[in-house]
Amino acid sequence: MANSELRAKRTTCPFCLNGCTSAVAFNGYQYRMEYPTDAKVNKGRLCPRGNSASIVIDHPQRLAYPLLDGKPIDWLRAEALVREWLGQVKPAEVGLVYSRGRSLDEVRRLHGLARELGTTYLACGHIEPENSFNYRLEGVKDATLEQVEQAKAMLLVGDVFSTSPVASWRMLDARYADRKNRLVVIDSLRTRQAGFAHVFVQTGVGAEPWALVALAGLIDRKLGVDVDGCCQRAGVKRQQLEQAAALLAPGVPGFVGSAMHPGRVSHPAFHSLASQLVALAAGKPFVGFRETALPPGAMSFAVLRQAIADGKVRLLFWTGGLFPYSYANLLPELGKVDHRIATSIFVPDPAVPGLVLPMTAELERGSKGGSYWGPIERNALASPLSGSREFSTVLSWFGRAAEVPEAKPKSVSAAEVLAMAQKAVGVKRPEGLLLVGEKKAIGLRGFYDREETVLLNPADAKQLEAENGRFLVLATAAGELGFVAHVSDQVPEGVLAIGANVHRNRALLPLSTDELTGDVTVTPASVKVKRAVRVPVTAAENPSVFA
Amino acid sequence: MKKIVLRLDYCIGCRSCEAACRSRFKNEARIRLAEVNATTLLAQGCRHCEEPLCAAACPFQVIVKNPETGVVRKSDFHCVGCRSCSLACPFGVIPAALQRHMSQKCTLCDDRPEGPRCVATCPTGALQFVEDVEAPLHGTGVRYAARSTTWRRP
Repeated sequence: MANSELRAKRTTCPFCLNGCTSAVAFNGYQYRMEYPTDAKVNKGRLCPRGNSASIVIDHPQRLAYPLLDGKPIDWLRAEALVREWLGQVKPAEVGLVYSRGRSLDEVRRLHGLARELGTTYLACGHIEPENSFNYRLEGVKDATLEQVEQAKAMLLVGDVFSTSPVASWRMLDARYADRKNRLVVIDSLRTRQAGFAHVFVQTGVGAEPWALVALAGLIDRKLGVDVDGCCQRAGVKRQQLEQAAALLAPGVPGFVGSAMHPGRVSHPAFHSLASQLVALAAGKPFVGFRETALPPGAMSFAVLRQAIADGKVRLLFWTGGLFPYSYANLLPELGKVDHRIATSIFVPDPAVPGLVLPMTAELERGSKGGSYWGPIERNALASPLSGSREFSTVLSWFGRAAEVPEAKPKSVSAAEVLAMAQKAVGVKRPEGLLLVGEKKAIGLRGFYDREETVLLNPADAKQLEAENGRFLVLATAAGELGFVAHVSDQVPEGVLAIGANVHRNRALLPLSTDELTGDVTVTPASVKVKRAVRVPVTAAENPSVFA
Repeated sequence: MKKIVLRLDYCIGCRSCEAACRSRFKNEARIRLAEVNATTLLAQGCRHCEEPLCAAACPFQVIVKNPETGVVRKSDFHCVGCRSCSLACPFGVIPAALQRHMSQKCTLCDDRPEGPRCVATCPTGALQFVEDVEAPLHGTGVRYAARSTTWRRP
């Protein structure tokens, strides 16, 4: 071990659930990443998000003082305001929402606070599709690290490599370990991951669950699936799925992995359960690859959203990521709440109405949690930012918050999944050009990548007269935004793909309600290209286009 | 001398190498990913040539090859940002866009005894830091030459 590693503090990376060991050294001037090679899960390897740990700690846009309607105030005034607002409303009118960034023990304390206050308005605000991995199919087991290493047949649904890049290392090692080992990929976009597949099944946008149900039906005939009907709905050929079914036959060691990105899936719960249905049929363990796992609240976000729209919630405390504020069509509803309190680690851009309280980052506090491969523990890498406060301090202003066990994930049977497939037949799909979200290198407030590019198929580019570098204005139900065109055969015809990591782009993906479960989610949306004009774009303005 | 080589079969295009470089050098990436086609990317960094053209082109002799380590290093203090090195580089790995009024060039992280950060962070181990004699074993040249835009992994 090198001297620099000895000085470095270690923790478990909080940016996805792979449980990578991350280390940061401080030389008295700046924080620097170190790569401890003796780490069990990642051997010191880190993805772009993991590498950003040192940047998050001393990021120039860290929020270091409370904001009231975008203007700085001091902590004493902020505390007085919270207490004053609490006095103006009934405890049952207080709404509590938690999102990513809150650890499991902090969520348990929020559940305790809700019980103490006597409010039922407690919901998980992490409305990313990946949260639907909370739906678990009865009889499906979680994969272990050893099972991934020794896999001979793997099925990856969605872009797993982009969700947890470090986890892909073991899969690639397994893929190349023997020439007979096989990798099947089912996805709507031809991502980098598809280039590694022996069998790549490209479905229509958001139609992956149909291909998965058909695949499960081909592996286990007893399920009685209408395979041809499902293939037609997914837009895939039966022969391709038969080939995949032969590779994933029961008895061959392997696993099924699935990932869901915002704006890529139409029915997140159906997508999650259909992936698990294949795992069940093939007798293989399952991994739901995601960035965070949060337990469900006392009510779904959709119900809380309705209560907010009806004016029943008068004070809203939104803790964790500020993602919901970047969804444009949620803001008018939030305007009906009298008093809004949110927490953030970065300065909100644009400014958020109400009170915003600066919190310590995940890297500045210890916590316990889980990963794909077992329980993990996190240590503080750096001392808390001056001006930020611990979550427990803010929580104590609201009342006593004892830890209460969280609700268990929803358990669903195989018959219910097939019923869900029947129900989904009647759901209308968006028409015309479709806008989907894609996982790219992280944005981190423009530090790595501003993600101002839109991927489009060569055929669409020809029709829109949009060659590489052409400036396009995309318009959806949520608003309109400018992008630079990047022509690529990665996306199929009729689909435009934008990076879904940055707030700027997320504002273009409207929120919708999944008709199968009633959950609020972010689905592919109809988009119009309003105008295409040539503007000067330099490499300095947009390096990703010219890289 | 040791060099960075890329195992094409393992690169997933995650841009971790670029991120590690940016993280260390305050948003200045000295290694970049070049897109060959939608599913194929190549991490492009300085080759530290035996006879570096960037060093020959530098009007102020700011770029010097260390004969012992083989690292071609640029002195930031003396660089005037004339971009001669960017134009001279046959691989195009010295970006023409200036950062802090200077060109940016890979130093193989010679401040880090364990080797370059991009190699340490590579999630799949696609980037490797190996001796010259080991490099041919990876067959990088052969694989790259064999890989046209219609190339498919075996």
